Amino acid sequence: MNQTTESVKDKTGSIFEGEDIIIKVRDLHTYFFTDLGVARALNGVNFDIPRGKVMGVVGESGCGKSVTALSILRMVAKPGKIVKGDIQYFRRKFGPDGKEFNEAINLTKLEGMGPEMRSIRGAQMSMIFQEPMTSLNPSYTIGDQIMEAIILHQKVDNVEAEKRAVAILDGVGMANPKLIVKRYPHELSGGMRQRAMISLALSCTPAVLFADEPTTALDVTTEAQILDLMRELQKNINMTIVFITHNLGVVAQMCDYVSVMYLGRVVEQAPVDDIYYNPKHPYTSSLLRSIPHVGSGQKERLQPIRGVVPDPYSKIKGCPFHPRCDQAMRGLCDVKVPGVTMVDKGHSVRCFLHSDVEEESNGQ
Amino acid sequence: MDNSQLTTINKDDLLLEVTDLKKHFPIRKGLIRRSTGTVKAVDGVNLFVKKGETLGLVGESGCGKTTAGRTIIRLLNPTGGTIRFNDPKKGWVNLEKMERKELAEIRPHMQIIFQDPFSSLDPRMTVQRIVAEPLLINKIASGQELQDRVAELLRIVGMRPEYMSRYPHAFSGGQRQRIGIARALALNPKLIICDEPVSALDVSIQAQVLNLLEDLQKDFELTYIFVAHDLSVVEHISDRVAVMYVGRLVELASTDKLYYSPKHPYSEALMAAVPKPDPRRRDRPIKLPGEVASPANPPSGCYFHPRCRYAKEICSKETPKLLEVEPEHYAACHFANELKLRGVLG
Repeated sequence: MNQTTESVKDKTGSIFEGEDIIIKVRDLHTYFFTDLGVARALNGVNFDIPRGKVMGVVGESGCGKSVTALSILRMVAKPGKIVKGDIQYFRRKFGPDGKEFNEAINLTKLEGMGPEMRSIRGAQMSMIFQEPMTSLNPSYTIGDQIMEAIILHQKVDNVEAEKRAVAILDGVGMANPKLIVKRYPHELSGGMRQRAMISLALSCTPAVLFADEPTTALDVTTEAQILDLMRELQKNINMTIVFITHNLGVVAQMCDYVSVMYLGRVVEQAPVDDIYYNPKHPYTSSLLRSIPHVGSGQKERLQPIRGVVPDPYSKIKGCPFHPRCDQAMRGLCDVKVPGVTMVDKGHSVRCFLHSDVEEESNGQ
Repeated sequence: MDNSQLTTINKDDLLLEVTDLKKHFPIRKGLIRRSTGTVKAVDGVNLFVKKGETLGLVGESGCGKTTAGRTIIRLLNPTGGTIRFNDPKKGWVNLEKMERKELAEIRPHMQIIFQDPFSSLDPRMTVQRIVAEPLLINKIASGQELQDRVAELLRIVGMRPEYMSRYPHAFSGGQRQRIGIARALALNPKLIICDEPVSALDVSIQAQVLNLLEDLQKDFELTYIFVAHDLSVVEHISDRVAVMYVGRLVELASTDKLYYSPKHPYSEALMAAVPKPDPRRRDRPIKLPGEVASPANPPSGCYFHPRCRYAKEICSKETPKLLEVEPEHYAACHFANELKLRGVLG
């Protein structure tokens, strides 16, 4: 396992050989310092997001999916704080000679609300939230909210901004976009609101779009349409999408790569086909066994994962999944934390079943 | 579907029969709250439930599935139609116009589990009090007997009785849902309306609760009406499925028939839209133009016709009846016999 030792030694090396990486997250720790104690929301997240691909982030509530996105966008609010780790963003730029190159920016080194981060957020990276009703401002029209983003990041006047807002709404399949820009969020249905939210996020054609459970609040037929729309947009403008969800059906339909998270760590990252047909981490396979597979014709009993997700205040010795794992090895899994291991091209896992590599930054 | 069509089914095997059920809500406006219209949340639902089965009730938000479930057990008073319940002692009784007192005798047979395990338990009551309440109200047990019964119920749903002096906030979502289930079981009901019982839970917890519901059904011979929008969960748990659209039932069939050979274009669109957890099976959804019709102002004829890709002239004029197109497969579509529709496998 030469590859293994290499990937662990060279922490900045990508698990995707030959892929153009747009965001590289290394050993990211985000903690929330609350009155109840320190909640370790992210406990050493490592992953790479390939450019122009859809990357799914799955896991149960409290596993740190949303905090990962908020950390990358530098939107973690007090009492939360990024305490450790690096987030590299490779911005595509044109040099003076007209050649394309990637400029590396370490987002953790920037001021969260500083000018550089604000010029990136909303323009080059944006986010769609789960609940469109609470994330759109109820006292401004849809048009105002999209125009605000456009005017903030692009040098255009009101008239031009409104034109663009109408064009974007039209692009996401909204009927009567000229009327919709004058409407308030409460006047729209759930699906239309989510389309408005997507328009807002796309208003400056971002390089990376974080979609945090964008269809969870929607009905199936509307969900299918929104997913179809996102897939189309992604293809047309070669956007990178980070798709956060707990729905394994949606992930299978949407994503190229998947990161499975458990208790603030990525336990497995692989191409979507491997996650479903060749999962390596016991948590990934347990998740797949616990859901009903529609259309499989099988009525067999679901196999739930025993126990519950521990609360983030507790500190678990060893692999965080070992108390719920059927394959846990005594004396190993309950003592040491497994490190990241490459098992295949583009497929990494953190589990002692696949290597005996320990996490380096253990014991803090 | 009228009752004459039920001749193939033995009436003794049925637990519930609902005919032309209607629930309209007035829209009130202005200072004197004058009624300016009605929302026809449930507008002519016909269905029957067999003893010991799970009937899935699906449809998109606002289609009236929750209202239908609640009206069936008289948590809401129906505007019209009949609800007949096969009481284990009294035989067939009509619920729709029953008075409070009479209803109180039937109620123990019909219970409900709610969607949100956080708002359906009183935060100021201990778990013991929550589960004991139905027993107290119906004067079934008291003192030590009550204690024992509550402890037994908690054990049945997989919770430790030692926790019964705690308050709901001390429990996780899955555990709270178990408490809600224990409460529903307290009176040995025949019928339980499960109103989105797992949609607020994480996938691994969802599997635990679904398995629990299946076990309880076997052990206590329960009949479920399982109201949900998650079609994967419904396929897993249901024997038969009813599909609702804007207050009406558009299709009713065994789960396999409905999922693999639907007879109504709306069911077809639903099946195509289910996200399948298999990256090797990606299919494009069927585009439904426009939005779900408003139950306050539904279109003429078949409510689905403005969005239906098979609609013809007759669809905007005549309301299709729910008819038996194949044995025990009911659909409300003018062309149910002619259309070749694709199921969940595409």
